[in-house]
Amino acid sequence: MIEILQQIVNGVAIGGVYVLIALGLTTVFGILGIAHFAHGSVSMFGGYLTFFLVSGMGFPLLLAILVALLTGLVIGMAIEFLAYRPVRNANHINAFIVALGLTMMVEGLNLEFFGHEQVVIPTDLGRVFNIGGVTLPELRLYVILAAALLILAMTIFVEKTKTGQAIRAVAENRDAAILMGVNVNTIPLVVFAISTALGVCAGVMVGSLFAIAPGIGEGLVVKGFAVLILGGLGSIPGAVVGGLVLGITEALAAGFISSAYKDVIAFVVMITVLLVRPQGLMGKA
Amino acid sequence: MLEVNDLRVAYGAIEVVHGITLNVQAGECVALVGANGAGKSSTLKAICGLIPAKSGRISLEGRDITNASGHAIVKAGITMCPEGRQVFPQMSVLQNLAMGAYARRDAEQASDIDEMMDMFPILRDRAGQAAGTLSGGEQEMLAIARALMARPRLCIFDEPSLGLAPKIVAEVGATIDRIKKMGKTILLVEQNAAMALRLADRAYLFEAGEIVLTGTGAELQKHPEVAKAYLGH
Amino acid sequence: MNTMLTKWTAGAAAALVLTGGAVFAADKTLDIGVSDALTGGAAVYGLPQANAVKMAAAEINAAGGIAVGGDTYMLNVIAYDDKANPTEASNAVRKLIDRDGVKFILGFCCSGATGAVASFIENEDAVMLVGNAAERSITTREIPNLVRTRPPADYTGAAAGTFVADKGHKRVAVLGALDVGFYASYVDAFEVELNKAGGEIISREAFSLKDRDMSPQLTKIREQQPDAILVVGYVEPAAFVYRQAVELGIDVPRYGFTSGSEEQFLRVASSEQMEGVWDLRPTELTLLSASDNGIAYHKNYSDTYGIAPSPSSPYAYDQTYALKDAIEAAGTVDDTQAVAAALRELAVPDEVVMQYLPVDGTMFDVNGQAYTSNGAFQWQSGNWVFVQDLPSDAAAYSAFLSTID
Repeated sequence: MIEILQQIVNGVAIGGVYVLIALGLTTVFGILGIAHFAHGSVSMFGGYLTFFLVSGMGFPLLLAILVALLTGLVIGMAIEFLAYRPVRNANHINAFIVALGLTMMVEGLNLEFFGHEQVVIPTDLGRVFNIGGVTLPELRLYVILAAALLILAMTIFVEKTKTGQAIRAVAENRDAAILMGVNVNTIPLVVFAISTALGVCAGVMVGSLFAIAPGIGEGLVVKGFAVLILGGLGSIPGAVVGGLVLGITEALAAGFISSAYKDVIAFVVMITVLLVRPQGLMGKA
Repeated sequence: MLEVNDLRVAYGAIEVVHGITLNVQAGECVALVGANGAGKSSTLKAICGLIPAKSGRISLEGRDITNASGHAIVKAGITMCPEGRQVFPQMSVLQNLAMGAYARRDAEQASDIDEMMDMFPILRDRAGQAAGTLSGGEQEMLAIARALMARPRLCIFDEPSLGLAPKIVAEVGATIDRIKKMGKTILLVEQNAAMALRLADRAYLFEAGEIVLTGTGAELQKHPEVAKAYLGH
Repeated sequence: MNTMLTKWTAGAAAALVLTGGAVFAADKTLDIGVSDALTGGAAVYGLPQANAVKMAAAEINAAGGIAVGGDTYMLNVIAYDDKANPTEASNAVRKLIDRDGVKFILGFCCSGATGAVASFIENEDAVMLVGNAAERSITTREIPNLVRTRPPADYTGAAAGTFVADKGHKRVAVLGALDVGFYASYVDAFEVELNKAGGEIISREAFSLKDRDMSPQLTKIREQQPDAILVVGYVEPAAFVYRQAVELGIDVPRYGFTSGSEEQFLRVASSEQMEGVWDLRPTELTLLSASDNGIAYHKNYSDTYGIAPSPSSPYAYDQTYALKDAIEAAGTVDDTQAVAAALRELAVPDEVVMQYLPVDGTMFDVNGQAYTSNGAFQWQSGNWVFVQDLPSDAAAYSAFLSTID
């Protein structure tokens, strides 16, 4: 029993990272119909930047994260404005190609700036809490709390603020949103800024829990899209449920079936869910 | 209030509106009638900034709004209740109404929502429900209420009765009549010419992208050609 | 006297490397090649090896080069990045032989890439000197023009099994890169010795080179309540295992086979999280166990490259001196067969850093395999501390290796 609980706790932290990545992907997809492949690499850039600020410049961790977040906001807007906006009214394949090119570019820049060696963001959070036999390292606890807080903030933003409602409205019916007076030129900027900032948070989490290295971002974006499909395209609750399901499934599969097939089993679950619910867990039929 | 001068609208190389001129005075209800594909909806879309005008001039209260962006036109005071209702299906009725007031910055939005729910009691009953789960008639009421939430100076209705059951069509007609009596300025596009002409102070008859006839609602109702072609007499 | 000389040589070489080494204009140049992982995940092993070869070459040049007949040759190192990838390594070696005309190829940190090159090197007019790659099969085919400085993984695994069994552990859980042949063979040899002492391996959990989250595997292991855990694999994932074992409250002794430096582990785990971890591996380079050569090597490397050498990097440094002695003994730089034969007859050179156990008086046995002693190292307050030699029988293993095809 403790083993199962422990595996679920293990999976929740990584699931939280998946959720943050998927939230960014799902809002971008919902509003622009773009599969933003570069998201993982941009997120890793945020992690690298945090590492550089902490290890190279001596910034305190929280300040470094803040700087990386603000940088993420700006980068997100720049990506929308410079890369995706010019092809907005063109054939969808154009945006697809831009997304692929952008991925290679950002991966290349990461390699150029930060090298090929893996990077671990130092945190000094070494305590371990033990709750009835289930252990929870301090760092993982903070990662879970931070992810929960960000998910809550994102939900409140989308449900309770005018801009958030406008984002939903554009996603659901672009023309009607224009008729309500929504400026459909600024909304994509906001969406990319927020998505990228969430991605940067995910990058910091990956970088402190595990490590950042070339290729990690691409792997994460694949998981992110798996979450999107699992949860339902464009659905925010779907991203949350899908991310946690994927994280916990991976942990349970590695713990109870075989660690060698961790990734495979996660995708088997995804395919099984889609066979039963083609629209995803939270998607509308 | 609204002046449209020699407006031309084209989709690529194909021109569908060939230089029409019309106006709507404050407090009036003006109807655009005509067959499907006559250019009524394209005219509306150009007025609302959803598609560009090829040439001509559109102005609201003397201000040029030709080819202004959609959200700027909403701010200027024009709101459209679109064809096919176009509610936000996964958002609640309440959220849809609140979106209607998106361009407003005043503090009276909550009381306006209350007012709309008094006007359309069914919306109060369904307030928390996703708009997509409402019936067609209920969605139409929501779309109308959502449009009114913007407190528009000019309210445009694009085919409000399309696809609704006859009983609901009558209800929609009655609703527009009520809005008219509230003193709103209305531009109404309807294929149901009988209803449109009954509601309208004035009307324009569209044929193949041009205005071929204009007059008061009563005049057009009596016009033999209109009666024959559109009213089924 | 010997110590003084070594120090002087090392110091002069360091100065030379820094000034570019142009002072000694040589009559003749001998190109030697390096194929190794200079980038990618395996660069933690490959790059220090390439650096070590360059450093040894600079030292040899500074000391007057290689004397063959009346000529003196200065060494010039051509290093290519094989990314530890079999295809890249085959291409790199082809390029060295065909385009650069190189006859002596060093480096080779990783088994997959090395195995690919070993499969065709016998037909080439070249000599291959393998470093850190630990897969046993590389030296089981008695390829005449191939030698290896590092002992195979199972040679060390057997010694490790005896050591852990002597500690009284009966139930050992294994977590490692078990899809990699030489890690699996380490565990197999470990298991044989453990079983002899009445112990058993109660579970074998795997991770891959890119895995960073080991908590699912460790949670499973925790549930089985082992007496000890054994971690075999590359430094980076292994460091995460040690860190996450502490985070999961696993407080049984942790043994490993990783050969990572302090610096490599501290990038991932804190010194507190590493405290008490054992590394059971060839004695390699650590300052506490080092000979005078080892201390000089460490200093010279640190001064030259601005970073401490990895514990396994001297395998490549030693290749270079073995090659020098073999060429001088054979008296030719052209006849690769003679040089290869001389390598098999070679006594352990004076300059080597690792502590080789000669078999029948030679550094490399009939299989072309060298043996070092194995050691038990323990992490104590931020450092790997040499605790004791592991019981290793080089002659017996050499005989065993000859029986395998």
